[in-house]
Amino acid sequence: MSEYRVTRRSALGSNALRSERICISALPEGHVIQVMGKEGGPDLGAFLSEKIGGGAKFAVRIAAPFQWYVVGDRALSPEETDTMLDTLHPHAAGVDQSHGRVRFQVEGAMVERLLAKGTGTDVSVEAFPVGHSTMTLIGHIAAHVTRVGEHAFEIMVLRGFAESLWDDCARMAQEFT
Amino acid sequence: MASLVPCPHCGMRPKEEFTIKGAAIARPGSHADANEWMDYVYLRNNPLGTYDEYWHHTSGCRRWLVVTRDTGTHEISASCDVTVAVKTGVAA
Repeated sequence: MSEYRVTRRSALGSNALRSERICISALPEGHVIQVMGKEGGPDLGAFLSEKIGGGAKFAVRIAAPFQWYVVGDRALSPEETDTMLDTLHPHAAGVDQSHGRVRFQVEGAMVERLLAKGTGTDVSVEAFPVGHSTMTLIGHIAAHVTRVGEHAFEIMVLRGFAESLWDDCARMAQEFT
Repeated sequence: MASLVPCPHCGMRPKEEFTIKGAAIARPGSHADANEWMDYVYLRNNPLGTYDEYWHHTSGCRRWLVVTRDTGTHEISASCDVTVAVKTGVAA
């Protein structure tokens, strides 16, 4: 038995990088449920928002065709997660990714310029309106990007890459801070 | 190679987000003889001009696509989800 106890700690802690034109801040490690619908099946966005998203803004995000993420700031108990996953049956299947994906927010007047350094996706508000989300590469790291405001994006990334992507974003923000 | 690839689900994306499998050609039936399988697995025509290829949007929507690319100019004239391609007979 190791003398070191395994302890849970957040991937990004309470890190924040704040300046007038750009601000990067870690978001609570709440819940992330990946929902997989049936190939060629219906759009479950409204269903998910009502049944398991609690109607919260930006709770349901498109991940891919017939796939969604349901995210929230509140950590769920195993029972709550089970109830949520049962609700999906038989329309879709769900996987709890709460410990696998980490979110942080990038906001400020220069946020589009910052992201444009790392991704080939058009992040202008015309092509990427508020509420829109997509999976893309930022540098060499795949991340799920959601626009949550005119000058604010949420970035969700695999836990193991969270610190690296945070550092990349901080470096990309350097000229604006 | 084209730098920007149109994904039918995600829009224009850099080629770095994709993995290319190769020619989108019809797979032989399960009872096909060894020669047909030899052709399918190893032999390619390598034409100059329009070419259908399987591309996987690995770092995006993770869907398999059929991308129609000109091997001479690298211009991409079409791309569609593989399920659509199968329905319309582009891929099998």
